[in-house]
Amino acid sequence: MVLQARNLTVSLQSKDGRIDVLRDVSFDLAPGKVLGLVGESGAGKSMIGRVVSRNLPKNFSVTHGSLTFAGHDVIHGSDAMLAGLLGDRISFVPQEPLTALNPLMTIAQQFGEHLDRIGIRRAHQHAQMVKALEDVRLLDPKRVLSSYPFQLSGGMCQRVLIAMAFVSQPALVVADEPTTALDVSTQATIVQIMRRLQQDHDTALLFITHDLRLAAHVCDDILVLYAGEVVERGPARAISGDPQHPYTRALQAANPSLDGPLTRLPSLPDNMPGIAGFSALKGCRFGPRCPVADQACVGAVPQLRETSPGHWVRCSPACQHGKPVAAPVIEHRADDLSGEVILQASGLSKYFEPPRNWLGRREGPGLHAVRPMDLCVRAGEFVGIVGESGSGKSTLARLLMGLETPTTGQISLDGRDISVSNPQTKQLRLDTLQMVFQDPQSALNPRRSVEELVTQVMESHIKAVTPEARRIRAQDLLRETGLSPELLHRYPSQLSGGQKQRVNIARALCVTPRLLIADEIVSGLDVSVQAQILNLLLDLKARRQIGLVFISHDLSVVRYLCSSMIVMRHGKVVEQGPTEQVFSNPQHAYTKALFAAAPPADLESLWPPEQTSLS
Amino acid sequence: MAFLALQLLIKRAFLAVPILLCVSALVFLILRLLPADPIAMSVPPGATQADYDMLRISFGLDRSLPEQYLIWLGKLLHGDFGGSIFFRRPVMELISKALPATLELVSFGFMLGVVIGIAGGLGMFMLRGRWGEQVLDGSTTVMMAIPEFLWAILLILFLGVLVPVFPFIGRLAPDLTLPPAATGFLLVDAALSLRFDLLMSVLAHMALPALALAIGIAPLLMRVLRSSLLETIHEDYVTQARLRGTSETRIVIRHAFPNAALPTLSLIGVQGGFMFGGTVLVEMIFAYPGLGNLMIDAVRNHDLPVIQAVALIYCILVLGINAVVDVIYLAVNPRLRLKGRAA
Repeated sequence: MVLQARNLTVSLQSKDGRIDVLRDVSFDLAPGKVLGLVGESGAGKSMIGRVVSRNLPKNFSVTHGSLTFAGHDVIHGSDAMLAGLLGDRISFVPQEPLTALNPLMTIAQQFGEHLDRIGIRRAHQHAQMVKALEDVRLLDPKRVLSSYPFQLSGGMCQRVLIAMAFVSQPALVVADEPTTALDVSTQATIVQIMRRLQQDHDTALLFITHDLRLAAHVCDDILVLYAGEVVERGPARAISGDPQHPYTRALQAANPSLDGPLTRLPSLPDNMPGIAGFSALKGCRFGPRCPVADQACVGAVPQLRETSPGHWVRCSPACQHGKPVAAPVIEHRADDLSGEVILQASGLSKYFEPPRNWLGRREGPGLHAVRPMDLCVRAGEFVGIVGESGSGKSTLARLLMGLETPTTGQISLDGRDISVSNPQTKQLRLDTLQMVFQDPQSALNPRRSVEELVTQVMESHIKAVTPEARRIRAQDLLRETGLSPELLHRYPSQLSGGQKQRVNIARALCVTPRLLIADEIVSGLDVSVQAQILNLLLDLKARRQIGLVFISHDLSVVRYLCSSMIVMRHGKVVEQGPTEQVFSNPQHAYTKALFAAAPPADLESLWPPEQTSLS
Repeated sequence: MAFLALQLLIKRAFLAVPILLCVSALVFLILRLLPADPIAMSVPPGATQADYDMLRISFGLDRSLPEQYLIWLGKLLHGDFGGSIFFRRPVMELISKALPATLELVSFGFMLGVVIGIAGGLGMFMLRGRWGEQVLDGSTTVMMAIPEFLWAILLILFLGVLVPVFPFIGRLAPDLTLPPAATGFLLVDAALSLRFDLLMSVLAHMALPALALAIGIAPLLMRVLRSSLLETIHEDYVTQARLRGTSETRIVIRHAFPNAALPTLSLIGVQGGFMFGGTVLVEMIFAYPGLGNLMIDAVRNHDLPVIQAVALIYCILVLGINAVVDVIYLAVNPRLRLKGRAA
């Protein structure tokens, strides 16, 4: 075995006592195999990588169990022994490729430093680097080597990091969310490259991800973690094809599908508690959120049971043949494209002039961020804008919001032209359009309470507003977005990620806008929380006939929410039409490639596709 | 790179022109608005009103303000700073003697300050969480709490009088004679004429004033470097290097320090400017014959042409230091060099 864990327990020593952030984890990882660690943020999936690298956060320590790498005791072995293994026999692929490379050193300098470290003579280094970069399919290795990280794209940086990770032909590679920060098509390529290198060198791969569907395609075996515990463990095929634990089922069901009939996503109540809340969980840690839990689940911690060869589940036997988590309800999409037009844009485009040089002349080509396009949103219509980074989808949102001045084209709201910015059009925009920002963490002022945040707009918008009026409005908004009224006096730091995004949405609803513009608002959320937010948006549509421009890189989410969609690439609209039509019969080669790049739910279909002709 | 640096320097030179014009006009105006009467300060006690008026006319002080300014500016363009009213000598001559002394002192103090600042910052970082950090941290507070002129006096007291290690008056021991080859930069002159006794004496005389100036910039550099090191050490690229088994020393030297040094570098530029201001009092205390001392003499005697000239020279020096720091910044930060040239 390359990596073997037995009853591994990692605990946080806090003033309230010991909290197990990882409890009783056991697994075997054989050479040439891929083990997936799947879970939502805070489930403890990154802890194992941190134990291997002795990089546990402050006050965290291994309190029980063992972890061995090729016979070496990782927990009790000397620092020197471990330092000798790192980078040579064990290597790591990071989550954020762009920040994982030193911006002041060229790729050749950093790669060279690593080759020094693993004892490759200077004379041989260049040839080795070129070969390693060719292995990760970088087309011009010499140019890449002389570049600085900021001159390369995220996907290229990740390939460089993968090349560095595999160059010593390590026995184990730990990849922590290696594709999360990348575009869909890049994700497919990166997975392909890692799989091939890993198979060629018989390397064991520990693949950490929040995406069960991706893990099912990449991994041989999967470990599903919830609140620091393994809730299910087994062959990827078994876990994905026949999930036994209610949490695994919920995780799978919370991910909207790319084909087949659309059903309303079953969403679990609340969210996984933070580490500090783990100690309050008695019995089954998933119990409080489990849709099929009963009295028995509160009593004792259920043990892992083998339900079929190699497939283990931590759930009481009684639950085993119970109902799956919430029966899927058919979601009828009220696709009435007959609502009145709220927003109409025609010939809209944005061209960024090249920066002036020191003589004041403009040098080089500018950027056509958005090429002339038309857009129409009706009341009750959700329009999805899909594209990869650099496609111009965020610039489009900024144009609609009036944060950028269009180069050409017209925008009208409720039939009134708002292309020209003046106090009247600004007021009309504010009354009709609201934006929900991507990152609720940075969009909410940490010094204001939820009540102040959600009614912020009343300060400037509605004159002479009484504190009572604000409170009542805030309460309404919280109710509407499914938040408890207790949260009125909380501050953003006291909220969970899902709650913050709800507050963010509640704030946009304060003026009762007719159209929301949402830029990647669910991409930072865990799938179960994402399902809650998506359902909230659908409820708002049903209740208020609200229109939505939903910008996303995630095809499945767009399919779930939107009745029509626009596919953008390099600022150009390549395809536009009703969502079902685009999905069932994509016309443009780019749209087809985009669909092919997303991991399908069906494990039998070959993914990643052999030929990804994107980028 | 060389092209970009040249480009930057040319740009800076162009920008310097309006700045210098503004500064000169401002200084000129303020000096004329003050109740300063240079003639009254320099006439002998028995002079009559007629003598006084004649002197005023000979220095052009009877003309209108704009006229005076334009005349002064016109001469300046020909490299003529006018004549000192008090010293009765061309201002240019006074400055050409004092400027090398100040430049030498500031360079020495600057290097000393940067070395102490960087070493201290790295030290504080390496000792983080241990008592050594507390000691260094405390010392920065003490350094910052005491102004540099007071440091000058304290240094004289401790290292000049109580434990007489260093001399503290002038630039040179009085019994030594200057070599004929005079650039005015005594270190250079001494080195060129191979006079090591002279070299040592010059260095010893500079030690205390330079240290007083260095203490003015070192503590802030220490603190900024320490805090940016503490930030960079948590950057992803540092973690990633550690995961590759890179040694901790190498991580600090190759990865953390160069990135952490960038904010420190821009601070050095600002502090370098302040240091010239610091020379005024420090030079006076050490009777060091530089620009600062010249300025004090000029102010004391209402010697307007000298004050104007020295103020302008200070301004040029500060602009120069900033330009040099910007060029260094360009050299060490590839993001600035390659901006807009992404592959």
